[in-house]
Amino acid sequence: MIVSGQPNQVRWILWSRFSWRHWRYSLISSMLLLCILAVGVAAFFSIRLANQAAVESFRSFTGLITSQSDGIVSAPAGTLPEATLLELRGILKDEPVNLVPVLEATAAAPKTDENEALGSRANYQLLGLDLASIANVSSADSAGSGWFESSTSSQKQLSTNRLGNVLRDSRAVFISKGLAARDHLEAGSLFPLLVNEHPVQLEVAGIIPSNPNQPEAPMNLLIMDLPALQKLTDKPGQLDRIELLLEPGPQRAERWRRIESILESSPSTVPRAWTVTSPADRREAASMMTRAFRLNLTILSLLALLVGLYLVFQGLDGAVIRRRNEIAILRSLGVTSRQIQNAWLVESGAIGLAGGMLGLCLGWLGAQVAVKMVGKTVNALYYSTSVNSAAFDVYEAAMALGVSVISSLIAGWIPARVAANTPPAQVASRGGSVAHYPGGRWIRNPILAGLMIASGYGLTFIPPLRLAGGGRLPMGSYVAAALWIFGAGIWAGDILSGMGRFLKCLKINSVPFRLAVSHLAVPSGRHRLAVAGLVCAVGMTAGMAILVGSFDTTMRGWISRTFQADLYISSDGAQSASSTSRISPSTWNVLLKNPAVREANVIQVMDIHLDGISTLLVGNHLAFFREHARPAWVSAPLTDQVFDSGRNAGLALVSESFADRFRVNRGDKVKIPMSNGTREVVIAGIFSDYGNERGSLLIEREEFSNWFGNDLAASVILALKPGYDAESVRAEFRRDHPGLGVFTSSYLRGEALRIFRQTFAVTYALELIGIAVAIAGLAFTMASLLWERRMDLAVLRSLGMRHRELSVAAALEGAITAAAGLVTGLMISLALGWLLIYRINKQTFGWTLQTDYPWMQLIALSVVVLISASAAGWFVGRWASKLPAEREE
Amino acid sequence: MNLKTAGNPENPSSLVLTATKVTKSYAGRAVLRGVSLDLHSGERIALTGPSGSGKSTLLNCLGGVDRPDSGSILFKNLALETLDSDALTEVRRRHIGTIFQFFHLLPTLTAFENVELPLQLNEVPPSERLVRVRSLLERVGVLERAEAFPGQLSGGEMQRVAIARAMAHQPSVLLADEPTGNLDSRNGAIILDLLRNLSDETGTALLLVTHSGAAAQICHREIHLRDGEIGGQREND
Repeated sequence: MIVSGQPNQVRWILWSRFSWRHWRYSLISSMLLLCILAVGVAAFFSIRLANQAAVESFRSFTGLITSQSDGIVSAPAGTLPEATLLELRGILKDEPVNLVPVLEATAAAPKTDENEALGSRANYQLLGLDLASIANVSSADSAGSGWFESSTSSQKQLSTNRLGNVLRDSRAVFISKGLAARDHLEAGSLFPLLVNEHPVQLEVAGIIPSNPNQPEAPMNLLIMDLPALQKLTDKPGQLDRIELLLEPGPQRAERWRRIESILESSPSTVPRAWTVTSPADRREAASMMTRAFRLNLTILSLLALLVGLYLVFQGLDGAVIRRRNEIAILRSLGVTSRQIQNAWLVESGAIGLAGGMLGLCLGWLGAQVAVKMVGKTVNALYYSTSVNSAAFDVYEAAMALGVSVISSLIAGWIPARVAANTPPAQVASRGGSVAHYPGGRWIRNPILAGLMIASGYGLTFIPPLRLAGGGRLPMGSYVAAALWIFGAGIWAGDILSGMGRFLKCLKINSVPFRLAVSHLAVPSGRHRLAVAGLVCAVGMTAGMAILVGSFDTTMRGWISRTFQADLYISSDGAQSASSTSRISPSTWNVLLKNPAVREANVIQVMDIHLDGISTLLVGNHLAFFREHARPAWVSAPLTDQVFDSGRNAGLALVSESFADRFRVNRGDKVKIPMSNGTREVVIAGIFSDYGNERGSLLIEREEFSNWFGNDLAASVILALKPGYDAESVRAEFRRDHPGLGVFTSSYLRGEALRIFRQTFAVTYALELIGIAVAIAGLAFTMASLLWERRMDLAVLRSLGMRHRELSVAAALEGAITAAAGLVTGLMISLALGWLLIYRINKQTFGWTLQTDYPWMQLIALSVVVLISASAAGWFVGRWASKLPAEREE
Repeated sequence: MNLKTAGNPENPSSLVLTATKVTKSYAGRAVLRGVSLDLHSGERIALTGPSGSGKSTLLNCLGGVDRPDSGSILFKNLALETLDSDALTEVRRRHIGTIFQFFHLLPTLTAFENVELPLQLNEVPPSERLVRVRSLLERVGVLERAEAFPGQLSGGEMQRVAIARAMAHQPSVLLADEPTGNLDSRNGAIILDLLRNLSDETGTALLLVTHSGAAAQICHREIHLRDGEIGGQREND
């Protein structure tokens, strides 16, 4: 007798003899439910893994070679002179710390296809290290000692006696084990590369040795001797940073604090010509740079999980209905309400666990695809990354599994309560056939919905949360979006009811139609939940479509305005947003002297930090910028002074993102810390710019050149004299300068749009998953409802209704439910579109967009949802019309 | 409403339903073992027997809801076992009415709409539907409750609406499975009276599955089923 058993025994009996057996007997629907939950978990897990892989790729590469450095000395803006090494050694005197000078550069594989897409070629990270000193870093936890010894038996290796040869050979490069295997390279192989505008043939000197305490070197890492790289990148005597490594041993943290205090207290020019940071700060800065992007993706991936959980709710709710008789019998045998409730919660948890584990497998596979999409976006917008695969991460897996189990328990809470509240007498009094969904009074409360929507609107006025590193998180708007979606979900039930009543009034003389609308005029709690799930999926998908459509329109306008000049030239090695490839003054001077050139804009770019936040300083010919980029002004300059190169010293133009990020307006002053002092500029105007979210500060190029003492150009823009054909001049430049990428404005417009659309590819995939899961949810709801009504169906069959007519009735019910979800979802999507465009996007990226409604996409979405919902209803109706009236399961 | 007079059980031409040696098994267990019976127009037969004796199964086979494993069921010379699913549905739609123990009114339709449903299925014009439904509801005594939903009706009222629905399309045969089984004795008696009177007025044959002696009393014949076989039958006065 169950009642007399020990609590654990009862729990076990309920699980093994009831829950488990039911799952086994209805294997297909059980697996379907698990798969749908798994898809939600997989979307979440894969995006998290892909994000992590993209951030992980931005690491201090020197840590792969030496042990992880304890500190980093770098310039506030630009590069450090080599003399800083001597200065530091002088300050640190005999302190046991190794100084490792580093120069970093990006490079790309040479072009093989003239029609290739921008950013499609392999890009490499070149690291210039003082190899002689690295070899001497005798660190127990470093690979320094193995630097010139054999590392793999299968490759031809260097021996220590070749060190001299390597140091003498300015083309010697060390490559990763992965690259050697992929391209079948070995010591002595030639390796062609584009560095700045120079096509070079490097020679493989060996394989980067493994550091036992660090992961394998990434495929795109190349290491050269420091002087060789300085020469190759036209940066003689310049360093990006100096890494400080303590000798291994105890009390490392204390020793580092001592070194730090010595550096901080050292007499130096004010402001200091260099700053000291930790490797963790550097990684954090990279992580911050992409935090908003990653967070947006994570939130979007939660959509699929959210709808998946709603499905778990529907699935469990349906199971409660199917097993109501059994529960009633168990209750009459003495099983307590609490035991029933716990059994259902255990079942929910088990679904979460099993679905979550399946989701981890799918998610890991999905991450390998997602990482490429995320990597492309990070490459295009943030920094160079070569990630091609995402490693399985135990912490992330545990988190995804935890989210799956906890949310399944939440989803299972109401069904568990419904099950627990099943009275033993129910079977006898109601014939075991009719059960009504008792819970969720809140889902019928339009006042609650109104309050949610109103308070959501209030939250949209909350300013964004400002993160360290410059990222902005529009938390108020995110919460507002959630409140609007839930509020609209509640209202959708009333809209469904209204539609049902209206259609009933039409008195259409069709039995399936009348049957369908009779169920919808007073919709059940399940109908309301189903329609709320659809509102969530449709609202978010359509809202995103409005955002993307508006973005697309704005971008097209911006691109066509901005790319007005004839030719755009950059190093052919520039393949990512963070490329350091530059054009030397000798080369761009030749370009400017070409007889076809009427006007030119030589653009110099420098990564700078203002208040610890990374942004871009751009040297530009501002008059050319006004004429050929035709900026749309957020705050137009009050006079033309800023465009007059003779009078614009100390004046700057800033992008809207910059103004938003640093909270500055026209007329404000911006102080720029540099190695040789702080410069101050006044903001003369603010323009719209969608090129980067970090923001840009534009000054006249001559001033830029004076500040930094170099003339390396990031790009050169040319306007040609009338009568010259851009394509012919382009061909000429390509022939004379094979290391340059020369693009016409029409090509660049196309590429800019392609890259923009590519960044949204992952969001489309997530939206599709959301819609598919919502339709599956509707099918589950219909199945539950029809199961609940199976006796009615049997009656209708006995009255002479055909299977086909019952299927049509179910299809109509599904279609009308979907239509209500669609109408409400589309209405809320307009509000969400506004929120995304004017609040979330503006607060996150600082971009003002022109609203545009992609009507065709919205119509296509509506048609897909209606057809899928009708089809789902029809199939479920077909299945239900054949259900025996009294079959248990 | 055009009400027919009761048929004559002695007249072969009034035969509406004939079962011959019907057998049916579920999961290897024989539920019906060669049952034969005739049902004439206007005739009322009570099918009695203990639980599990095969009463409901026989009713389902006669109503074309279930198919016998062997044997034959003729509905007005139409062999039901030869018909496909759609044709069987057509027979039920046009010629058979069913009443259940638990009423099984459709909860989202009003009493009026429940009764109207078979007429809609038979494509009766709306104006005629209105007249017939009102007339039937009046006849069973629940006209004033026409706009009520099943949840707002008492058990007796629900069963009256169910009877009106079963009679709406003027079926030749009315199959009733324990129609008073879920009612108190007063309401049960009212329902039995109603069934007898309607059968008499319309000439509809009634096959009544029941455990109740009172219910059996309204029938012309009583057939007793035991272990899937006819264990005996008797004529009532």
